[in-house]
Amino acid sequence: MAKSETNRPATTSSKKEAVSREEHMKQLEFQKEAVIHINSLYNYALHLTMNPDDAEDLVQETYLKAYRFFNSFERGTNCKAWLFKILKNNYINSFRKNSKEPGKVDYDLIKDFYHSIKDTRTDTSEADTDYFHSLLHEEVYLALQSLPEEFREVIQLCDIEGFTYEEIANMVESPIGTVRSRLYRGRKLLRAQLENYAKKYGFNTDSEK
Amino acid sequence: MNCNKAHVLMSVAVDGELTLKEEQMFLLHLSECELCRLEYEEAKKTKMIIREKIVRFNAPPSLVNMIMQLSSVDSKKTENSLSL
Ligand SMILES: [Zn+2]
Repeated sequence: MAKSETNRPATTSSKKEAVSREEHMKQLEFQKEAVIHINSLYNYALHLTMNPDDAEDLVQETYLKAYRFFNSFERGTNCKAWLFKILKNNYINSFRKNSKEPGKVDYDLIKDFYHSIKDTRTDTSEADTDYFHSLLHEEVYLALQSLPEEFREVIQLCDIEGFTYEEIANMVESPIGTVRSRLYRGRKLLRAQLENYAKKYGFNTDSEK
Repeated sequence: MNCNKAHVLMSVAVDGELTLKEEQMFLLHLSECELCRLEYEEAKKTKMIIREKIVRFNAPPSLVNMIMQLSSVDSKKTENSLSL
């Protein structure tokens, strides 16, 4: 380092260099810690906004803010949880206000989403009685979307994103006991929905096993 | 422990978030109650189906690029030569 210093023309530029080197380290750490969660954040944003353009904007805003406040991220804690919290706050503060109709599901969007996915009902003769395998991606998605937001949210964060109760409690700003009971009640509703779909296909869910 | 209490704990058990004491009581009840044993299997399935059937999307490449750019904007301001 000292060697290259002698080749430098002015001291101001070396000072600049030091600043940007620090910045460069921050970038690298940010990319390693935060940017790797972009797919999870994008999916979460899609679920919240129900619109790909809004989801992109929301993720972008989230990363802008996260980068600006990256120094306040407590190293060693779950960066993904930290990002989700920022995204959720962003969504509440700026997005939900402007959204056309809160809680309104865009069914065309869902159709587009699931259109490309080859969705075959697996009919293995052995597992015929197991209605779970008969459900389509789209049906599970719709069942989840049909839940009240407070239930849907915790199920998403827990089952899809794999956050701990403590992390979820922090994200939704409620005690762990509330998270527990929302999961319990949400799952009960969800199962009723799923069983409705299964019944539609003639699976008898009551007398299973 | 009665079945109602066990049902509430089931959802927690599925996530592996029972306290040690709760877990002991819960397992004891399961060992004595066939209905709750079956119910517990269903509860595990419900979690599994969400994990398996909800489709995950990849963030569009344009968005990924944009985010990569975001985290190098500041340094471009301070020094133009550093590009990433
Ligand atoms: Zn029981």
